[in-house]
Amino acid sequence: MRSTSTDPLLSVESLRTEFRTEGGTVTAVNDVSFALEQGEVMGLVGESGAGKSVTATSILRLIPYPGEIVSGAVTFDGEDLLERTEKEMQGIRGNRITLIPQDPMTSLNPVLTVGRQIIETIRLHQDVDKAEAREIAIESMREVEIPDPQSRIDEYPHEFSGGMRQRVLIAIGLACEPDLIIADEPTTALDVTTQAKILELLNDLRERRGVSILMITHNLGVVAQTCDRVGVMYAGNLIETGRVEDVFEQPRHPYTRALIDSIPSVDDDLERLYSLPGSMPDPKALPDGCNFADRCAHATEECRAGPDPALEAVSNRSTDSQVACLRAADLDLSEPARNGTDERRQRTTTTESLLEVNGLKKHFSAGDGFFGNLSLTRTDGGGLSLERRYVKAVDGVSFTINRGETLGLVGESGCGKSTVARTVMQLLEPTDGEVYFDGHPLHELGSSEMRSLRQEMQIIFQDPKSSLNPRKTVGQIIGRGMKKHGIATGDEKRSRIEELLERVGLQAGDIDKYPHQFSGGQQQRIAIANALAVEPKLIVCDEPVSALDVSVQAQILNLLADIQDEFDLSYLFISHNISVVRHICDRVAVMYLGKVAELGPTERVFSPPYHPYTESLLSAVPHSTPDRQPDRILLEGTVPSPIDPPTGCSFHTRCPKKLDGTCEREEPGLDPIDGDGTHQISCHLSVDEMGEPRTETGEPRADP
Amino acid sequence: MAFASYLVKRLGFMAVTLFLVTLITFGLTNVLPGNVALLILGPNATEESLAQLETQLGLNQPLYVQYVDWIVGLARGDMGMSLRYNTPVAEQIAIRLPRSLLLAISATIVSVTLSIPLGIIAAVRKNTPADLTASMLAFIGLSLPIFLWGLVFIFVFALNLGAFPTRGYVSPAEDPIAALHYLILPAGAMGVALTAYIMRMTRSSMIDELSEDYVEFARAKGLSEQTVVLRHALKNAAIPVITVIAFQFSYAFGGVVVLEEVFSWPGIGRLTLTAIENRDIPLLQGCIIVIALIYMVSNFLADAFYAYVDPRIRYGGEK
Repeated sequence: MRSTSTDPLLSVESLRTEFRTEGGTVTAVNDVSFALEQGEVMGLVGESGAGKSVTATSILRLIPYPGEIVSGAVTFDGEDLLERTEKEMQGIRGNRITLIPQDPMTSLNPVLTVGRQIIETIRLHQDVDKAEAREIAIESMREVEIPDPQSRIDEYPHEFSGGMRQRVLIAIGLACEPDLIIADEPTTALDVTTQAKILELLNDLRERRGVSILMITHNLGVVAQTCDRVGVMYAGNLIETGRVEDVFEQPRHPYTRALIDSIPSVDDDLERLYSLPGSMPDPKALPDGCNFADRCAHATEECRAGPDPALEAVSNRSTDSQVACLRAADLDLSEPARNGTDERRQRTTTTESLLEVNGLKKHFSAGDGFFGNLSLTRTDGGGLSLERRYVKAVDGVSFTINRGETLGLVGESGCGKSTVARTVMQLLEPTDGEVYFDGHPLHELGSSEMRSLRQEMQIIFQDPKSSLNPRKTVGQIIGRGMKKHGIATGDEKRSRIEELLERVGLQAGDIDKYPHQFSGGQQQRIAIANALAVEPKLIVCDEPVSALDVSVQAQILNLLADIQDEFDLSYLFISHNISVVRHICDRVAVMYLGKVAELGPTERVFSPPYHPYTESLLSAVPHSTPDRQPDRILLEGTVPSPIDPPTGCSFHTRCPKKLDGTCEREEPGLDPIDGDGTHQISCHLSVDEMGEPRTETGEPRADP
Repeated sequence: MAFASYLVKRLGFMAVTLFLVTLITFGLTNVLPGNVALLILGPNATEESLAQLETQLGLNQPLYVQYVDWIVGLARGDMGMSLRYNTPVAEQIAIRLPRSLLLAISATIVSVTLSIPLGIIAAVRKNTPADLTASMLAFIGLSLPIFLWGLVFIFVFALNLGAFPTRGYVSPAEDPIAALHYLILPAGAMGVALTAYIMRMTRSSMIDELSEDYVEFARAKGLSEQTVVLRHALKNAAIPVITVIAFQFSYAFGGVVVLEEVFSWPGIGRLTLTAIENRDIPLLQGCIIVIALIYMVSNFLADAFYAYVDPRIRYGGEK
C-alpha cells in the first residue's frame, strides 16, 4: 500500500521518449507533464500517433526496441521510476501499477488456462501458496463479475467471449490490489454493448476500491463517461488538461475543439460534420512552433516559429485547465466550430428501387477442410453420430435500396452485415435468395454477365492499405477499371483520373505516386476515386471510416455525402458505429445474428428506438457529453453462436423485454408498424409495449 | 470430445493415405522390369519350371487378385517370403526396423537438444552476432546432404581423432556401452544435419510469439524476461516446431537409407537397398510399406500432440 502523503500518486515531468528508427528519430512523447491524484481517473485522449500509448508504456518502462526514454521523471508514490533497476520495476509492474491492455483477444496466452495466468501474477508479487493464490484469483474473477469463477478458472482463453476476456485481464490487474491501473484502450476492440458493460465495471471498481486509473483512449465518449480529468495529446505533446466538464464545455485548444466537433453525435441525423483539414504531421519531421498550426484556423505567424508552446494555466480562475496554445487567452472556443455550409443535408430520394434483396441466405461450412464441418456428437441415446454443421452468417435478409439513397446496415461484430455486402455483390455465392440490381437478377447471371455489371456496383473496404495494390501507381489503380469497362483510354483517361483525384480532395499530381506515399485517410480517398472512376450506381461501403481517426473520419464522411449528391449514387453503408450510420444514412437496417431486427427510415428507427435490441444498442453508445449519464441497458450474456441460433426470436436469450413462452417458440416476422409500411420491426411486442419503459427507474418515453 | 473427433478424422485420413500407398507400391513394383520367377530360377530355367513357379507364387493370376492377396497378407502381418534370404519378409523387417528406429530417434534427440536452445537464443538476440552465427551454422547444416555429414564425422572423429569406430553396429542388448560407441557418430551426423530446420523454425516461431500482445502483457505483469520467454512464448512457439520435428523424424527415416550405407548400419535402409539390388520384390514392398507407415504414424503423433498442446484445437474452440 502507498505511503501517506499529500503528493500526487503519479507525476510525470517533462517526459520525452524517442524511437531511433532508420528513417530518423521519432519523438513519440515530447516533454509531457501531468499528475494523477490518489483515487482519480484521468483520461489521455488523442488520435493514433499522438503518443498516448507510448506515454503509458514509458510509465511502466516497457518501451519496445528501439524506443528509449530520453529525459524526464516519472514519480510514483514518491520514487522516481526511471531510477529503479529492472528488477525493482518487475516488483512494481503487475503489483502496484497494473496494465489493462487493449486487445483482450490477443493479450491472454492461448495455451495457458486463465487461472494460471491470474495465479502466476499473484504468486509473483504476494507471499502465498498455490491454494491461497487460487482463492485470491477466484475472488478477483468474482469481483469483475465473471459468472461461475470456480469452474471457469480452469478454462482456456478461447472459451471466453471478448468481453469476458477483458474481464479476465481486469481481474489480473486487480488481483494484487494496485494503486494505479493503466487502461490502454480497454474497450476499443469490443462491441458497443460489451463496451458499455466494461465501462460500468470500471466505474464500479473505482468507486469500491478507490483505485486511480489512467485511461488511454481515442474515444471522447469513453472519457466523458469514466474520467474526472482529461489530457489531450497531439503529435507527442500534451496540449490541454483539465476537468472533464471544463474541457468538453469550454475547450481551450483549437484541436480539442475540433476533436469534439468531428465526432458524429448519436443523436443527430444527417448533420454535416465539422472537419479538420489535413492530418497529423510526420513525427520524424515536426514543424517549428506549434505542431497543430498547419491545421489550425486561428494560427498566426507567431505560432509557426520557436519551440512547442508550453502547457500553461488558463488565466480564468474558475477552472484548473491548462493549455499549450499561444493564443489561448484570445480565443473563445465555447461554441462548436463550423466550416461554411453547416446545414443539414437536404435529402431527396426517389422511390425507384435500384437494389432489391429477397430472403438472402449465406451459410458457411463450420470448420475448414474437406471433413471440417463434420462434428462427432453424442446422440440422445448416447451413441456417436456425425453431423454436418453450418454457420448461418446471413439467414433470410430482405431489403431494397432506392436510387440516390443510403441504406445503413448496423450491428455488432458477427451479425452478418459484411457477409450481406459480399453476397449482394456476388463476391460470395448466396446459399439462397434473390438479388435484383437495376432489374437484373444477379443470382441467375453467369460470370461474364456479372462481370459487366460489376462496373455499376463498387465496394470500398475498411482498410485501404490492403485493398490498394502496393505495386501500382494511383493512376494505374484507378485507370484499370476505366480501361476494362471501356470508359476512357489514353490522355482522356489520364485527365479523368486527375479530375477525380481533385474531386476527392487529392492533387492531380498524385497520379504517379504509390499508395504507401499517402496517409490512411488519403488512401481511403484513392479508394473512393477508384470506385467513382467506373461511374457506378451503387457503392457498398464496408466500414469505410472504422480504421480512421475521428478528424479524418469526418472528412471522409463529408466527402461521401458530397459525391452522393453530385453523382446520384446509392450506398449500402455498413458500420458498427451507430453515430456514423445515423449521420449518413437515409434508412437503416439493424441486424442481429444473421437477420434483420428492424428496418426503416433512420429517424424513425432511432428516435425513439422501438425494437429492444435497437434500444439497447443505442443506449450503449457512450455519449461524448460528460453531464449525460444515460440509463444504459446492459444486455445479459453474449451473442449466441450462429451455428446453433436460439429458437424463436434469436434475440430472446438477451432481450430485457422478453415475453415468456412466445419469444422462445415463435420466430417473429419483419412486420410494418406504420401506415406506409416503411418501418418494419421483427418483434412479438406491440408498438406500445416496446415504447414502455423497462424499469421503474427508466424515463417514460415521449410518444413518437 | 472435439479432440476425439479430431483424432478420428486424422485416423480416417491415415487409412486413406495408407490405401493409396499400398496401391502405388504394388503398382510400381509390378511394372519394374525383370521376371521374378526368372530371377529366382536363374537364366537356365526351363519354360516348364518357370510356369510352375509362377503358378506357385500366384504370378499368373490377374493383378487385382495378386493385389488383394498381398493386402490380405499384409493385414495379417504376412508380407510374403524374401526371394534373396528365403525367410519371411516380416521377420527380416522385425530384425532391422528397431535398429533404424534407434538411429533415427537418437538423431532426433541430438538435433532437438541442439536446435531449440540455439533457436531461442537466436530469437531473443535477434539481429545480433549471436543470432547471425547461429543462423549461419544452421544454414551450413541445411546445405550439406546427410551422407556428407556422415563422411565429415567419420573423417574427423573416427579417422583423425580415432575416438569412435568408423562403421558397424552392436546391439544395445548385448553391450550397451559398445552400442553407444557405435551409435554416436551416425546419430550425431544425422542430428547435425537435421538441426538446421528445427532451429530456423524455432527462431522464426519465437520471434513471432515474442511480438505478440500476450508477451507484452506478461511483461506488464512484472514477470522476468526468462519467465516471459520460457513459460509464455516458448509454449506457443513450440506448436509449429513440433510439426517440424515430426516431419524431420520422417525425413531422418528417409536419410537412414543412405546414412546406414555410409556407416554400415544394418537397419531397414540397407535392407531396402539390398532388396532393390536383388530385385527382391516382396522384401522391397514390405520395406516401402513399413517406411511409409513410420512416416504416417510420426505425422499422426505430431498432429495429435499439436492438438493436445493447443487447447483451441483440443476443445474445438473458435478459429
